Amino acid sequence: MIADATESEFKAKIKSAVGPAGAVDNRALRSAFTARLRQVAARPDVVPIQLDGRRVEVRRGATILSAAMKNGVRLMHVCGARTLCATCRVVVEAGEDNLTPMRGTERFSLRWHLSMSPRTRLACQARVNGPVEVESVFPLCGELPNG
Amino acid sequence: MTTEPPPSSEADLVARLKVGDEAAAHEFFDRYAARIRRFIVSSLGAETDADDLLQDTFIALADALPFFRGDSSLFTFACAIAHRKVLSFVRTKARRARLMRAAPIAVEVPPPDSDANPEFRRALAELRPEYREVLILKYVEEIGVTEIAATLRLSEHAIESRLARARKAIRKSLGEQR
Repeated sequence: MIADATESEFKAKIKSAVGPAGAVDNRALRSAFTARLRQVAARPDVVPIQLDGRRVEVRRGATILSAAMKNGVRLMHVCGARTLCATCRVVVEAGEDNLTPMRGTERFSLRWHLSMSPRTRLACQARVNGPVEVESVFPLCGELPNG
Repeated sequence: MTTEPPPSSEADLVARLKVGDEAAAHEFFDRYAARIRRFIVSSLGAETDADDLLQDTFIALADALPFFRGDSSLFTFACAIAHRKVLSFVRTKARRARLMRAAPIAVEVPPPDSDANPEFRRALAELRPEYREVLILKYVEEIGVTEIAATLRLSEHAIESRLARARKAIRKSLGEQR
């Protein structure tokens, strides 16, 4: 029984149950990986980000909102990117360290709109320094249900 | 006769990957792809879709590698990306299943090949994916709790707790079969 098994016995059992990792013989994936790596290395000022599951490339230092608009992802921004409305807010799914730190005005706006999650940012204020994955909180413009 | 070059150190490999070196990319793929795939299968609880997720993970990895700061090992960094890909996939699939009013996602029990301990294998396969994931990282990949916590973006306490629950669940599952 496991109850009596020591840590090392348990480890051995798991290892034997899972088995060796085997090998991944996928030449297409290996080539795609290499090609993408080269492509990314060739353009250090371009940062790939993921917006609502869509991969877009942005200039390093751009705001999430400008990146979205340039790439046809119509994030709402009722106040015109002045931190007032918080309709451009996004949830950062990954890579929050690759965004510029939150400033007082952004923090105030988010608190004012009762957005307390530490993973929420205003797309008009957060600038991209590296890959991030974000999801918009509000529906995109043009995606509101009819009627 | 050709001889294989000696494996590079991780720091050297990272530096070469950052400049898009082809040999480094191949070395990275050969060294980690199988382990990353195994991690994806354990997180997902099924072989189905694992290859698609492996592909997504590697493409995202290529995008993120130039920004890797070396705070963790390369493998943990890759696992963190794979973990997010799996989470996002499971969420989408669950959403779709809810919309279709379909049954919950089924977990495949791996075929009992080479089986020294089929009961244990079944108990492991029946575990909740988040439990199986921490067990694999801790006992198979031999990653420390601190690094697992960073990979899964949870506290160390949460990881310890998951590990304890996972062991308990396996114990219970084995007990029930007897």
